[in-house]
Amino acid sequence: MISGGGGRSSSSSWAPTTSVSASGKRIQREMVELNNDPPPHCSAGPKGDNLYHWIATIIGTPYQGGIFFLDIIFPTDYPFMPPQVVFKTRIYHCNVEPNGRVSMGILKDGWSPALTITKVLLAVRSILTNPDPYNAAVPGIAHLYLGDRAKHDDIAAEWTVRFAK
Amino acid sequence: MYYRRSNIAARIFDRQICTPAPGTSVHHARRFYENLVPSYTVYEVEFPDHSFRKFTDDGQYLVSFSRNHQELIVYRPRWLSFSCNDEDCDKHDLPAKARRFDSFFTQLYCIPLVSCNELICKDFFLYMESNKFGLFATSTAQIHDAPAVGGAVQGVPSIEKITFHLLRMEDGEILDKKIFSNDFVNLTHNMGVFLYDDLLAIVSLRYQTIHILQIRDSGNFVHVRAIGEFCREDDELFLNSNAQGMQLSNKNKQHQVPENHVENHMHQGQPNVGNSFLSGIKQRLLSFIFQGLWNEETDDTLRIQRLRNKFYFHFQDYVDLIIWKVQFLDRHHLLIKFGSVDGGVSRNADHHPAFVAVYNMDTTEIVSFYQNSADELYLLFEKFGDHFHVTSRNLMYMNFISSHSNNIHALEQLRSIKDKASNSSQFVKKMLASLPFSCQSQSPSPYFDQSLFRFDDKVTPHACFLVYFHCNDQMGLAMEKPIGHPLETDHINVVCLLLLELISATDRHRQSTDHPIKFILRNSPHTLKFKIKPGPEAGSMDGRAKKISSFLFHPFLPFALSIQQTLFLQPSVVNIHFRR
Repeated sequence: MISGGGGRSSSSSWAPTTSVSASGKRIQREMVELNNDPPPHCSAGPKGDNLYHWIATIIGTPYQGGIFFLDIIFPTDYPFMPPQVVFKTRIYHCNVEPNGRVSMGILKDGWSPALTITKVLLAVRSILTNPDPYNAAVPGIAHLYLGDRAKHDDIAAEWTVRFAK
Repeated sequence: MYYRRSNIAARIFDRQICTPAPGTSVHHARRFYENLVPSYTVYEVEFPDHSFRKFTDDGQYLVSFSRNHQELIVYRPRWLSFSCNDEDCDKHDLPAKARRFDSFFTQLYCIPLVSCNELICKDFFLYMESNKFGLFATSTAQIHDAPAVGGAVQGVPSIEKITFHLLRMEDGEILDKKIFSNDFVNLTHNMGVFLYDDLLAIVSLRYQTIHILQIRDSGNFVHVRAIGEFCREDDELFLNSNAQGMQLSNKNKQHQVPENHVENHMHQGQPNVGNSFLSGIKQRLLSFIFQGLWNEETDDTLRIQRLRNKFYFHFQDYVDLIIWKVQFLDRHHLLIKFGSVDGGVSRNADHHPAFVAVYNMDTTEIVSFYQNSADELYLLFEKFGDHFHVTSRNLMYMNFISSHSNNIHALEQLRSIKDKASNSSQFVKKMLASLPFSCQSQSPSPYFDQSLFRFDDKVTPHACFLVYFHCNDQMGLAMEKPIGHPLETDHINVVCLLLLELISATDRHRQSTDHPIKFILRNSPHTLKFKIKPGPEAGSMDGRAKKISSFLFHPFLPFALSIQQTLFLQPSVVNIHFRR
C-alpha cells in the first residue's frame, strides 16, 4: 500500500483508512475529469453509491454496433494497482477472457498510476477496433483473426447481434 | 316501449319487422338476455362433494376436482327436463329430482391426474377452445427456504415437481405432459401461465425463464424457445459451438454468489470478480434503457451526468429485477412485468416498485418500458384496455366481456373513481397492478355485460373488503382487516377496477353476505331482473361465520352455480340458478 506495485497485501486485511480515502479522492477526481471531457462512444459512472465499483458502457463498436456493459472495479490501493475491467455483455474478442475479463497490458504489468479511467476506457475501446492477437487471452480467436479476418469479423458481428443488442 | 322490453314475444315480433342499424344486429340479439335470465333458484342441491373450477368458455364442460385433489371430474351441462300432466305447469313446483345435481349435469369421466405425492392445483385450468384441449397442473408441496442453486433466484420457493397435463376434454385422455423440476411457477389463478391461440408462455420464477411452448393439433407440446438467459432459441447452441478453443465455463450461471463475494473481499486488494454475464433479456432491457437516456440528450457533458444519475446509479437495481408475470399481446409480443424478488413471491405485490416491458420475441427487442406509475401507460390502459385482453377469437361472445375500453358504463365508473382518488399516482399504480392480465380469468356470461345489466353497486364495507382482496389477488382467508373504514382511500379507489363489488366476471372467490346480489336492467325500465343468492334459502344459521362464495356462470346459457363455503370444513352449499 505504501508504494506502487508492492501494495497487494492480502495478509493485512485492514487497509489504512488514509489510503482508502486517498484512492477515493483520486477516483472522484477522475469522475469529474470524465464528466467534463467524456471520451467518444464511452460513458461510465459509479454503480449505486459505491465509488469503487463502476459500470461503463461502450457503444458503436465495429462489432455491428452493439451496447457493451462493463464492470470496473477499483482496488483500495488505486491508483497504485490497476482496476479490473470485466465485460458484462458477451463478446467475441481475442483479448477478452471467456469469463469476460479484459486482458490488456496496461491492466496488468503495464499499469502506471498516471493512467486514468478515461484512458482505460479509450484503451478498451481501441482494442475493440484493433485486437492484439499477439497477446491473446483466447488463442483460438487470435488464430482466426490472423488467418481469416473476414470470418472472424462475421462471427464477431453475429455475437453482437445475439448478445449485445 | 316498456311492454316490448319485458315481453319476449313482442321482441321477437319486433325483430321480424325492424332491421337493426348496420353492424348492431349482434348487440340487438344479445338484448334478448334481458328477457332470459337465471331467475329461478334451486337451493341446496344435492351435489357430489367436489371443488368446482369453471365452465369452459364454449360451455361444453364443467370442470371439477375431487376434494383430495387427486382426480379430475368433468361434467357436461344439460338442461333440466321434466314433464307435467296438468295444464298450468308454471304453478307447480319443480319435481324432487330438480334438487339433484345429476339432473343438470352428466358426468363424462373421472380420471386420476396425479402420481406419487403430487396434488392437483385447483386454481389452475386453461382451456384451448379451438382443439377442445384442457391444460391442468399438478405439483408437489412448496419448499420455502430452498437454497438457490444452479442459477436460481434467491428467495423464490421451490417445488420439486410441477407437471402440466394436456388433456383431450372429450374423453379425458392425457395427450402430453410437461414437467418442471425444482422450479417455481405461480399457478394461482393461472398467474404464471398464459395461453394465446396455440402458444403457451410459462414463467419459471425460480430460473427467470419464460418458456414458450406450442400446443400442436396432435396434442403435443413443442418447445419453441426459452427467453431469459438467452433470447433466441439457438443462442446457447451458437455459443457452445463457437466456444471451441474458448473453453467456455458454465460458471456464469451462478451470478449471485460471486457478486457478493466481490464486495466482501474488496479490501483484500485483489477482488475476486465473478464471471457474470448479463442474461439475454437483461442485456436487452439495459440496452433499451441506456439508449433512451443516451438519445434524450445531445450534449456530451450533460449526457454523461444524466446517465450517471439515472442509469449507472440504478444499474444494480435493474439487474436485480426479476420477471414476475407475462402475457401475450399477440403472437410476437409479450408484456412482461419486472419487479423485485420480494414482490414476485409475496401476495401483496402492489407496494413494490415494478416495471412493464413490451418484448418482441422474434426480433428479441424491447419495444417499450414503463414504470408501473407511468401516466402514459395508464392512458394506454384506459383507452386501449382491450388490447391487453386477448381471448379466443373463435367464439364471438368472448368479445363482449365488458371493460372500461369497450363499455361506457364501466368507463364512467372508472372515471368517477379516478376523480375521487386522493392520490393520482397511487391510483395509477393500483390500476396498473392488474397488468399483465391473468389468462382466462373472466367469464363471458352475458349477465356480466355492463351494457345489459348492472349489479349491486352499493358500496358497502363488505365491498371494500372484496376489492381489497381482489387487488391482492388472494383468497378471502388472508384479508383480516377491521371493518369500518368503508372509504379507506386506496382500497375503495379500486372498487370499480373490474366491476367488482359482490360479484364480477372475474373468477374469484368472494366473501359473501346473506343478501342476494341483484341484477338490474341497464336500460329502461331499469327494473330488477333477477337475484343470485348463494347459501341456504333461509340464510345461514350463524350469521357471523365468514363465508366465501364463488359463482360459476355458464358462458351463454341462463344458468349459474353458486357455491358457498364456510371456513370450518363444513360441506359447501351449492345453488343452481337457471331460467325455469
